[in-house]
This record gives sequence, structure tokens and C-alpha cells, in this order.
Amino acid sequence: MTTTDIPAPAPGMARPAPAPKRRPRRERQGAAWVFLSPWVLGAIVLTLLPMAVSLYLSFTDYDLFNPPHWVGLRNYVQMFTEDPRYWRSVLTTLTYVVIAVPLQLALALVVALALKNMRRGKGFYRSAFYAPSLLGASMSVALVWRALFNDGGTVDHLLGNGGWINKPGWSLLAVALLTVWQFGAPMVIFLAGLQQIPGELYEAAAVDGAGKWRQFVSVTVPMLSPVLFFNLVLQTIQAFQVFTPAFAVSAGKGGPADSTLVYTLYLYDRGFVASHMGYASAMAWVLLVVIGAVTAVLFRTSRSWVFYASEGDR
Amino acid sequence: MPGHRTKGFRASAAALALCAVMAGCGGSGESTGGGKVVLRYTWWGNPDRAARTEQAVALFEKQHPNVRVQTSFSGYDAYKQKLAIQATGGDAPDVMQLDYRQIDQYASGHVLLDLGKVKDTLRTDEIDAGLLATGRVNGRQYAVPQGRGTETVVYDVKAWKAAGVPHPAKGWTWSQWADDMRELARRTGRPGATDPGQSEDAFEVWLRGRGKALYTKDRQLGFTADDLTEWWTFTDRLRREGAVSPAEQTTQLDGSVENTPLGRGKATADFNWDAPSSGYLALVPTGVALAPMPSGEDGTPGQYFKPSMFLGIGAHTGHPEEAAALVDFLLNDSGAAKILGATRGIPVNEKIRTGTASQLKDFDKTVSDFQTSLEGSLKDPPQAPPSGDNALQTTFQRDYDQVSYQRMSPREAARNYVTEAKAELRS
Repeated sequence: MTTTDIPAPAPGMARPAPAPKRRPRRERQGAAWVFLSPWVLGAIVLTLLPMAVSLYLSFTDYDLFNPPHWVGLRNYVQMFTEDPRYWRSVLTTLTYVVIAVPLQLALALVVALALKNMRRGKGFYRSAFYAPSLLGASMSVALVWRALFNDGGTVDHLLGNGGWINKPGWSLLAVALLTVWQFGAPMVIFLAGLQQIPGELYEAAAVDGAGKWRQFVSVTVPMLSPVLFFNLVLQTIQAFQVFTPAFAVSAGKGGPADSTLVYTLYLYDRGFVASHMGYASAMAWVLLVVIGAVTAVLFRTSRSWVFYASEGDR
Repeated sequence: MPGHRTKGFRASAAALALCAVMAGCGGSGESTGGGKVVLRYTWWGNPDRAARTEQAVALFEKQHPNVRVQTSFSGYDAYKQKLAIQATGGDAPDVMQLDYRQIDQYASGHVLLDLGKVKDTLRTDEIDAGLLATGRVNGRQYAVPQGRGTETVVYDVKAWKAAGVPHPAKGWTWSQWADDMRELARRTGRPGATDPGQSEDAFEVWLRGRGKALYTKDRQLGFTADDLTEWWTFTDRLRREGAVSPAEQTTQLDGSVENTPLGRGKATADFNWDAPSSGYLALVPTGVALAPMPSGEDGTPGQYFKPSMFLGIGAHTGHPEEAAALVDFLLNDSGAAKILGATRGIPVNEKIRTGTASQLKDFDKTVSDFQTSLEGSLKDPPQAPPSGDNALQTTFQRDYDQVSYQRMSPREAARNYVTEAKAELRS
């Protein structure tokens, strides 16, 4: 009780002569808001407001040119019952997630493991492996990718199978590889996670006669599982939203035979090319709900396989 | 003190919001370079058309020293997509080339300027009234046709001669065409033509040859899933036999001649519009010729003369008068006509057409002779396609991709298309 009676700026009042180090709480909050204002404004104007508008538009027939008319659930009904291409794009996206995410995480982990014990040139290799993440997001690399995998391209010359991007069975893999190649971000996070694992755990394991593989399975994986979980959630969310590589590799069409028509590419096509912004908004909201659900499921399963070191202390 | 800070916060917030708004609004309209009026003019086409357009634009700039024209062009597919984005973003070019399919949507969507507002600068009195009307929506002129075109079977003359396949004559039917394709494939070892199954245009010609149409008068589908199944079964069989291009080739089509099987040396014929077929000359060194599209089995012609493309002015242009002057120049100036020839189809300005007909040379003459040979034998063109057709053209390709990659039967894909088309035309 006594503490609450003392006014908050008490320390400052006790010694008024030197420059007050702490300002009143309210005043400090004001300063915080001023510094936060660009972000807050951005969040409201560029994220929350457009989200609200898009939710509204998803119940309209907005075509970008004429004022929207309320159509109730028609967009959602059409999506689920009258649009076979929609379901194909859902299936394509799920396939993509299942291919790209494990491949990318595995590659990031392998490279991080290799880099961990490297004595010389670690900085160089770390940068070199990270570089594709900076380059890969650019359109130019995606175009190079298209040339590589096109018929008459490098892959065609090496394997002699006419390239990948004109074959529906292979084109999605070419897109996925472009993403997998950009494994820099999860790699750096894995590397940080690996360096947190205390060396004595490995020493103890070695004394107990554990080989390299056994150490990896019994020490590295459990100790790294929180980081692995973090990367898994992040990369899964990103994979559901994949757009640029699919757009660039298929020249914006999602072909051949819709094999690279991932969800967001179809959404873009409906919204901007076919001018059905209402429909596209509805698609966006369904995607948001699905990503939310998938993330929730991941969190639920995490209880059984993610190990937090602090739990061991209990 | 706190109050003071809050005010500061509000002020900075307001300033930031204002910046955001200003940034959003900036960029449209007033663009001047060195005191000159700058116009943006965009079109689709092949390199030949681009070179000639640049020449014509240079002449325009000479005549109008206060105007600078920024041009840009691309293949049709890329152009269509880019223009859609620009139009919806309120950033349509000052002067733009338009397809028949885009007029309705962009006119009713307030993307195009009502040309009645600039009729003193942009003269249309020498254009055939019927043709001019194709650029009218709800009684207002929103676009002016720039040329008259029709579809053609463009073929590699030498390859056909070497294979011993007779040159196609007027009135040949789809089954004769199919036989020729088989024969060519057998003799040359290459598919005869691009698989026409993916082309809504080719389907329309086939459909009209049977007395039907893509769309009814009240803008609904003019054909059934059975019609489309029959067409796709026909092309699917030819593709399986190797008489037309395989799916891997067909899927690379992007509206440019360079990426067609004929242009890539992988086939000996193609379907295209007559004027842009000039682009094949640079790619098929032995020369190409134009033949009429195949007719229905009873000889009913399916192809028709249509405005090959239009010119329109952006509704939000900062310089409607200058933009109108450029459109007027491209349509009515004799100097421009001499440079442009038939690169966008046969000119619509009657005086220019009759005046330049005798001077046309090279491929322009080929196109002109081709159209003359069809004159009077074709049926009336259909009314302007509904705005949904712009998107359906792509849907058509995509659904046929499912057939050509053997992921669906022609019937299944045709049913899908009809479902999608009905939804598209309803909205």
C-alpha cells in the first residue's frame, strides 16, 4: 500500500538539482508515441485500414473501376463451388509448401552445421551463403532462373530433358528451388542457435560413447528445437504467401497447365488482371484464416517435440 | 510540457499523413520535360511495328516542337497485363493502343477520355462510319479504330513446297487443313502448325464456320460445352498425332511472333492476325505467305474483318489537346501513313487508304492483297465482345493447357470453361 502512495517521480523530486533523469510517466509515454508515430501511422494507414477495406470489398463485386455493390457471400460461394482453378491453386500451394519448407530448412541446417565448426573463413562463407537471400528476391535473378530452366537453357543442356519450366510436373520444383536457394535467413538463425548449445553436453555425450550421429540426434536436435520451431513457423507462413518466384518463372501466367499458379498468383490474377478485386479480397481473407489455422496447429504440435532448456530445470 | 508534446505529436502526425497523401497523389498528370509537354504513348507489337512507329513519332515531334512523346511497347500478353494494372491504378498512358476486348471495360470504367471533348483536334470524318462505331460505348466515342485486320494462316512457303503440300486456296475447310497438317508433319518431321486449341480467336472462326458465335446478342455464351468439347477433341487428336505443336511449345506463346513455333523454326505454319505476321519475315528467312482461315465443312467462312486495334486517350491525361493531336496525326496524316503502311492493318482513313494503296510495298502489299482477296466474301462481324471476354481469353488458354498436358479430357475442360465463363459474364 505504501508504495502506491508515493508519487511516481519520487526519485527525481528527491534530487531536483541535477538534470532530471526520469520524466513523469505520462511525459515519457508522449515521447515514445512521437518516436513510434511513423510506425503507428504506417500500421494504421498501410495495414489496418487496407485490411478493413479489403474485408468490406470481399463482400462486394468491386471491379476497380466502378463503385462496389454489396453481394453478400457470393464471392465466397463462387470460390468454393464454381471455380475449379481455385482448388487447383490451393493444391499447388500446399504442394509447394510441402516441398519448399523442409528442403529449405534441411539445407539451412546442414550448412549451419558445416559452418559451426569451421575455423577459418567462416565470415566469408556465411556471407557467401547468405548472399542469395539478398539477390534471390530480385526480379533479375528470377529471370535468370527462367532462362536456366527453359528449353534450350542450362538445365536442358545438362539433362537433355527439354528444361523444366514447360513441364507441369517439374515447373513447381524449379520455383521451389529458387526459394530453397535463399536459405540464408534460417541458416543464420540456426547458426546462432547452434552456438548457444553448451559444449559440455557434447563432451558428456562423447564420454558416454555417442558418435557424431547420436550426438546430433540426442543433443543438437532437442537443444535446437525451439530455433527449429521458430524457423518452421516463419518459413511456412512465407511459403504460403509465395509470389515473386512463381510470377517470374512462369512469366506471370502460373503455367504450364496452372502448375505454378500458386494461391497469391491466382489472387493477383483475379484482382488485377481480371479486375475482380472483390473476389480477390475474399481469397485473401481465406488465405489469412488458413495461415492462422496452420500456425495454430504447428503451435499445438510443438508441445510434443519442442524442448526448452528451462523445462529441464523444473 | 505534456500538452505541448501532444500538440507536437499531432502536428507531426498530420505532416506525415499529408506526406503520405501527397506521395499517393503525385506523379499523375502534369509531366513536363524542359518546358515541353511529355506524352506517354504505349502499344503492343513486333519490332517492325516498333521501328516504324518510332519514325512516325519522330515526324510528329518535328511538327509539334513543344511535345515530346515517350513510347513503350511489348508483346500482347505483357501489354494487356501492364495496361490493366496502369488503368486500375489511375495511371493509364496519355495515348494507348487498345484491343477490341478492352474498349467496353475501360470506357465504362472511366479509364478512357470521351473523344467528343477533343473532336476539333481529332478528326474522324474520313473513317468509315460502321468501323468508327466499333469504338463507341453507350453512344459516346471512346476509341478510334486504327486499322482493319483479319486472321490468317501464315505459312513457310518453301517448306510447304518442299513437302509437296499444295498452297491453301480460299474456301478450304478445317478437315482439309487438318489433312495438310498431318501431311506436313509426315514430310518435314515437324508439326504443321501451332496447336489452335489454345486460341479463343481460332475457336471463334471455327464456331462461326458452323453458324454460331462466341457470344449472344445479350452478352451470354453463344455456344455450349458440347461445341467446345468437339473443338478440343479435334485439336487434341491432332496434337497427339504430332500434326500440331506439342504442349511444351504451345505454352510458350506470349503474343509475340518470336515465341511461336513457326517463329522458332519448330513448325511450318501458324494462325495470326494479318498485319503482325510481318514479324515472321525476320524469323523465317525463306519467306511466308498468307492464306485464308479454314471454313466450315459447308464452306461457311468463319473469319471476319474487325478493327485490329484502337487508339484511346487516358481520361486523366494532363494534355488532352496534345494527346488528341497525336492520335489525329497517327490516323489522318499522310506522312505518318506513308511510314506506318499496313503495320497495324489496313488504314481506316478512306482517303489515305485509297491514296496509299498503290504505294504499298513488301509485306504491306501482301496484307493489302490478302484483304482484297477476301473482300465481299466474309460475314458481318459480331458485336463488340462483353468486358468479361478480356479475362476469358486467358481462361480459355489455361483450360486448354489442361487438355494439351493430358491432365483433363476435352469434355472435362470444356465443362470447366463454360462454368467459369458463366460466372465471369454474370458479374
